Amino acid sequence: MRRVPSPRSHPRLRINALRMIVFAGLAVLLLRLWSLQVLQHDQYQVKAEDNRVRTVVTPAPRGEIVDDKGNTLAANRTSLVITIDRSVLARQADSGAAVYARLARVLHESPRDLTMKTRLCTKTVGKPCWAGSPYQPIPVATNVASTVALSVIEHPENFPGVAADTKAVRVYPHTTLAAHEIGYTGPVSESQLTGTNGYQASDTVGQAGIEASYDAALRGVSGVKKLAVDRFGRVSSTIASKDPVAGENVVLSLDGGVQNLLEQSLAGALMKAQAHGKAATTASGVVMDWHTGQVIAMASIPTYDPSVFTGGISTKDYAALTSAVSNNPLISRAYQSTSSPGSSFKPVSLSAAVAGGADINGSYSCPSTLPIGNALFHNFEGESGGIINLHEAIVVSCDTIFDQFAYNDWLADGGLRNGTGPYATAQEYFTKMAKSYGFGRATGVDLPVESRGYVTDRAAQQKTYKEMKAIYCKRAATGYPEDPDPAHAALLQQYAREGCIDGNLYNGGAATMFGIGQGQYLSVSPLQMATAYAAIANNGTLYKPRIAKALVSADGKTVKRIAPSIAGKLPVAESTLEYLRQAMMDVTKRGTASGAFAGFPLAQIPIAGKTGTAEVQGQGDTAWFASFSTQYVVVISIPNVGQGGIYAAPVARQIYEGLYGIGQPPLLPSPPTTLPKVIKP
Amino acid sequence: MTSLLPGTKPPRGVGKARLADKPARLANRRGPVTLEPLAGPGAATSKARERSLLSLRNVDWVLAGSVLALCVIGSLLIASATRQYQLDHHLDAYAYLKKHLLTVGIGAVLAVIVARWDYLLVRAYTPFLYAGSLIGLVAVLVVGATINGARSWIVLPAGFQLQPSELAKLALILGLALILGKPRATGATGAAAIPGARELGQALLLAAIPVGLVMLQPDFGTTMVLIVMVIGMLAVSGAPGRLVSILVAAGVAFGAAIFKFHLLKPYQEARLTNFLHHSGVHTSDTGYNVQQALVANAHGGLFGRGLFMGSQTQGQFVPEQKTDFVFTVAGEELGFVGCAIILLLLGLVLWRTLSIAQHASDRFGTLVCVGVVIWFAIQILINVGMTLGIMPITGLPLPFISYGGSAMFANLVALGMVENVRLRSG
Repeated sequence: MRRVPSPRSHPRLRINALRMIVFAGLAVLLLRLWSLQVLQHDQYQVKAEDNRVRTVVTPAPRGEIVDDKGNTLAANRTSLVITIDRSVLARQADSGAAVYARLARVLHESPRDLTMKTRLCTKTVGKPCWAGSPYQPIPVATNVASTVALSVIEHPENFPGVAADTKAVRVYPHTTLAAHEIGYTGPVSESQLTGTNGYQASDTVGQAGIEASYDAALRGVSGVKKLAVDRFGRVSSTIASKDPVAGENVVLSLDGGVQNLLEQSLAGALMKAQAHGKAATTASGVVMDWHTGQVIAMASIPTYDPSVFTGGISTKDYAALTSAVSNNPLISRAYQSTSSPGSSFKPVSLSAAVAGGADINGSYSCPSTLPIGNALFHNFEGESGGIINLHEAIVVSCDTIFDQFAYNDWLADGGLRNGTGPYATAQEYFTKMAKSYGFGRATGVDLPVESRGYVTDRAAQQKTYKEMKAIYCKRAATGYPEDPDPAHAALLQQYAREGCIDGNLYNGGAATMFGIGQGQYLSVSPLQMATAYAAIANNGTLYKPRIAKALVSADGKTVKRIAPSIAGKLPVAESTLEYLRQAMMDVTKRGTASGAFAGFPLAQIPIAGKTGTAEVQGQGDTAWFASFSTQYVVVISIPNVGQGGIYAAPVARQIYEGLYGIGQPPLLPSPPTTLPKVIKP
Repeated sequence: MTSLLPGTKPPRGVGKARLADKPARLANRRGPVTLEPLAGPGAATSKARERSLLSLRNVDWVLAGSVLALCVIGSLLIASATRQYQLDHHLDAYAYLKKHLLTVGIGAVLAVIVARWDYLLVRAYTPFLYAGSLIGLVAVLVVGATINGARSWIVLPAGFQLQPSELAKLALILGLALILGKPRATGATGAAAIPGARELGQALLLAAIPVGLVMLQPDFGTTMVLIVMVIGMLAVSGAPGRLVSILVAAGVAFGAAIFKFHLLKPYQEARLTNFLHHSGVHTSDTGYNVQQALVANAHGGLFGRGLFMGSQTQGQFVPEQKTDFVFTVAGEELGFVGCAIILLLLGLVLWRTLSIAQHASDRFGTLVCVGVVIWFAIQILINVGMTLGIMPITGLPLPFISYGGSAMFANLVALGMVENVRLRSG
C-alpha cells in the first residue's frame, strides 16, 4: 500500500503562498495607481496640457522709427531668410558637417562662419552665436537672393534641416545715419529672457539705441494662438486666439538733415586734421534744442551700419566692429565716452567762483604763470592777460584766474588736510557746481548705456583710495610687467607708487586744474556738456535729453507725446547766467572762437560759445567747442587733434550755417512744432 | 462589487469520495507519455463520466464572467485607442475593434472546445503541442519579421501575424504539468509523491529548449515569463525547496549577468532600466513612452475623462497604445475607478484559477492552473506596472485586454484549459 500523505497539502500550501505573492503584487499596482492618478494628478495635469496645447506666437509688426519730418530711419521689409534647424542637423551622421559645407558654398560663406552662427550662446560662447531656443530654426542668412533660396528649396535631399522662409527684417534705409542713436535689433539674449519684460525665446528685440530703449513700444504685442494638437502636431482645434497688436512708431526729435550735416562735418574735420598730420581718428557732436532738451542731432565717428546685426552678425563683422584697429565704432563718443572738457568748463568754474564768494564784477590778475606749491601753472600758450574782469577771462580764456579760484577753494577747505585737524566741513564749491551742471551723473537721455563720467570730490577720493590702496601698493612694488611698453609701464608704476603713498590726499594740483576743466578729477561727455550749456542758455533748467518726441500708434490715431523732462535747476543766479551768455557771445566775436566765426552773421544770428583744449596724457589735445544760438546748443569734441578754436569751432559754425541757411537753404531754423504724419502699415 | 469577491468555500461538488479513486485510475499510466487508446474497455465508462462532468452547472461562471467582462472592456479600450487614428487616415473608425471582436469570438469558441475536450486527450496531445510550439519558435527565427527589435512574428497572408511564443507558453505549461504531475510509485520510504530527480531533469530540459529559442528572438519579456513559470510550477509540484532556491538564484544571477556584461543591445537595456529613472530627462524613445504613459494615466484622475474623451489618448500621445500600453486608455478615460475594476476582474481570474488548482482532481490539473496563474500574473504585473513607471518595458500584453490575436487565442485557450480542469474536478 503506497502511502500518499495528504496528497495535496504540499501543493496547497505552496499555492497559497503563490496566491499571497500575486495579490501583494496587485496591491502594489493599486497603490501606485492611487498615487499617480489621485495624488499626483495635478502635477501631471500640466504635462498633459503641454502635450496637447501648442502655443504659436506671431510677432507683431515692429514699429518704425522716423525723424522729426517723418523720414524713415528704421523700417521693416520682408526678406528671404535661410534657417537651420539644429536638431535635424544634429541627427545627421556627420552632425551636419556636409550640409554646412554645401550651404556655405551656396551662400558664399565659410562653413566655419556658418557653424559659428548656430552655436548656442553661453557664458563662455560669445557672439556670433544663437541666443534663442535650440529647437527653433536659426536664421543664418537674411536677404538672400531668390535664386539662392530656390537652390535650397529644390534640393531638400542636399539640405536636410535647412529652410527658406520669408521674414520681416529690420532695414535702416540711411545705413549709417544716426546709427548710435537708432541702434539695432537682434535675437533676445539669455539674460533678457530671465527679466520681467515678457520676451519669448524666438523674439527679435532692440539691442541698442532707440531700438532698445523704446523696445516695449516698438515691438507691440505678439499674437498668441493656443492650438490643440495630437502627437504628430496635427491641429484639431483652436483653444484661444489673440491677434498681434502692431508696435508703435517712434517719432524722433532728431532731424535727418541736421544729423547728416553733423556727421559729414565731423568726418570732413577729421579728414582735414589728418591731412594736416594730426592723428585724430574720432569725433563727436551734439545738437540740442535748449528750450526743451530735445536732441536734434548727435553723431560719433567712426560709425557703423546697424544692418550688419540684422539676422545675426557674422564673426568677421563682429570682430571688425569691436577691434581696437577699427576704433570701436559701436561706441558713441557723444554719450558713451567721456574726457576732460578743458576750458569749455570755464562757465561752470565762473559759477563756482561766484558761489564761493568771488565778486562777479571784480577784476583779477591773469598772469602768464602761477606758482602753486612747487608747480608752475601756465596760461594756455603762456600769454599774460594783465588785470581783467571775468567777462574778459571767458573771452580770452584765461587759465590762471580760474586756477587761482580753484586753488583758493581747495585751500579754504583745508588743502591736503595732511595735518591733525580738525577741519571744518569742506565747501567744495567747484565739484559741487560741476555736479549741479549735471556732470558726474547720467543725463537721463532716452538711450541705453550712457557714460556718466566723474567729478571727484574729497569724499569720492577717500572712497576710491580705500578700494584701490591694496592694488596701488602691490603694483608699486611689482610694477606692470605685462605692459608691452616699458615707458608706459614705468609711468603706471609711478602712479601706483604715488597712489599707495598719498592716494588719500586730495591733490592740490588736480584741484587747481579742475578750475580749467583739466586733470584727473573731471571727465565729461559731449552730451553732458550740451545739457549744461542748454541750462546756461535757458536760464537754469537742466533737461534730461530726449531723442524721441512722440509715440504714434500704427494706425496713426493714438499719439503719445514725450514731454520734456527736467533733471534739475542750476543753483546759479539768473544775473550770473546772463553775465556768462554775454561773455560767451564775445568769444565768437573777438575771443578764442573769433577766427572760426569770422564772416559769420553774428549780428543776425548771435552765437555764444566757449572753446576748450583739454590735455590728454600720451596723445594730442582734445578740441572742444560748446555753444548755443537762440534755439540750439551745438557741442563739438575732437580728441587727439589740437585747439578747440581751430578744430572744433569751425565744425560748429558749419552746423549753424546749415541750420539757419547761411549761403544755402536752411535745414531747420527752428524745430517743427507739429508731428509729421506717420501712418505706416 | 463585494458579491463578486471569490468565496473561501471550495467550489461546488468537491468531495472526498471522488478524489479517492483518481490517483488509482491515473496510476495505471506509466512511463513516458503514450497515446491513450481511444477505444477500449475503459473508454465507454470514461465517456459517460465525461458527459456528467460537462454539466454547465460545473463551469466556474465567476471566472468565465470575469474574462468576458475583461474582453468587453478591452474591446472598448482598443476602440478608443484606435478610432482617432483611423479617422485621421480616413479609414474605418472601428476596424481594429471589429478585428479584435472576431479574435475574441474565435478564441471563445476555442476555449469552449478546449474546455470540453477529453481530459486524457489533452494529455495525449501535449507532446505534439509542445513539438509544434518548438517548430513555431524555430520558424520565427528563420522567417520571422522583426518588430520592435525582436524577431517574434510570423507574418501570414491577409494581414495576419502569428506569435509562436504565445503558443509556447501554453505548450510549456502542459508539458511541465505532464512531467511534474506524473503519478509515480514512490520508494519503500513512502515519501511524498513529489517529482524525483529524473522528472526534475526532464522538466528543466523541456523548459530549456523554448526558453533558449525565445531568447534568440530576443524576447526578454516572454523569456522571463517562461523562466518564472518553470520555477513556480516546480515549486508547487513539490520540488525540494533547495532546488527551487538554486533555480531562483541562478535566474537572478543570469539577469544580473545580462546587465553586468551588457549582453543586451543598448536600446534593450534602456528599455528595461528606464523605469528606474523615469522622472529624469528622457533622451530615448522608451523614456518618452513611459513619460507619455504616466501622463495619460495621471490625466485620468479619480473618475477618468470618459471613454473616447481623453485628450492624451485621442491625441495619440501614447505609443503602442492598443497593445502594450492599452492600460493607459483605461487610466486616462476610466480613471482610478475604472482601473481598479479592471485589476479587480484580473484578480478574480487569478483567484478562481488558484482555487481550481487547489481542488483539481489530479496534479496535472493543479499544475496547469498554477502555470496559467503565473503566466497571467507576471504579464499583469509587468504590463500594468510598466504603464505606471514601476516596471521595465518588455512588450508583454495585458491578458484578455491587449490587441493581438495570438495572445488572445492563447489566453482564451488557457481559460478553456482551466475550466477543463474545473469540470473534471467535481
